[in-house]
Amino acid sequence: MTVTAPPPTRRWRRIRITGLQAGIVLALVGVGLGAFFEVRPPDAYGVCMACHGRDLANSVVNSLFGSRLTVAPAALVFPLLTVVGVVIGAFIAAVVSGEFRWRKPSQPMRSFTYGVVVMNAALLAAACSIRLLLRTAAGDVLGLIGFLAMGVGVVLATMWLRQRALR
Amino acid sequence: MTVAAIASLLGGVLIGFVGQRSRMCFVGGIRDYVLVRDTFLLKGLISFLLVAWIAFPISGMLGGAGVGGFSSPVLSTLLITLLGGFGVGYVSILANGCPFRQHVLAAQGTGDSMVYLAGFLSGAVIFHTVVTPVVGRVLL
Repeated sequence: MTVTAPPPTRRWRRIRITGLQAGIVLALVGVGLGAFFEVRPPDAYGVCMACHGRDLANSVVNSLFGSRLTVAPAALVFPLLTVVGVVIGAFIAAVVSGEFRWRKPSQPMRSFTYGVVVMNAALLAAACSIRLLLRTAAGDVLGLIGFLAMGVGVVLATMWLRQRALR
Repeated sequence: MTVAAIASLLGGVLIGFVGQRSRMCFVGGIRDYVLVRDTFLLKGLISFLLVAWIAFPISGMLGGAGVGGFSSPVLSTLLITLLGGFGVGYVSILANGCPFRQHVLAAQGTGDSMVYLAGFLSGAVIFHTVVTPVVGRVLL
């Protein structure tokens, strides 16, 4: 009996993308959405998990309760659906590659708090980590300052985590 | 404006797929480099910055909407940007990934990230009902 190789159609299912390629695709999508598909104003608004999530959440709350929470001009008529798209795309990728697996939340209260704090910090800086980079690339001084502050935060938190793990 | 909604949905699907296959994370690059000198994600961070930096002027030449007219920093915006940027970096490391990575993790079944997303979206409403008035009163 000979061992047959798996059918070639399977191979694309476990396609691997390097970080470098992912950065290129994300940058092109981020710039392209802002430049050609009306995801603006504000400028450099193509991809931002925090701001687009804010637009979505606030639009839903506004239409449900008639409140007037802030929504970016780009999302006034109809909310941006980047957040929904990312979840759908990642779900497709995970199911196709067989990496989807339920994991029960191990520390729900803490995760919820992290989510609230990160969203508030991101809205203070008016950008999540992706849009900080996008603004930096577009020539915004505040974006660069925010990105450097984020780098400092990341390094400090990493060193703190390492110290705690070694103790 | 509906164009923006549809385009952002499709663009989101694309970057979500790419993000799941590459484990891309925008704070993980710096973290991995500090911890174990691994540059897999750091390369993604740098390539994102470089490609976006080149693509902005090129898209302007191709007839896309140009960028510019960013407000120059004054003390109040400088302070909140510093605070916000630092908070994003620090807490994202504690939460084990930047917002983008958390969306991807939630989509592949991680319960903690789903709870994080619930906090993330309610955080937006909290920000605009509670935090904005307070910050406005302190700084302005």
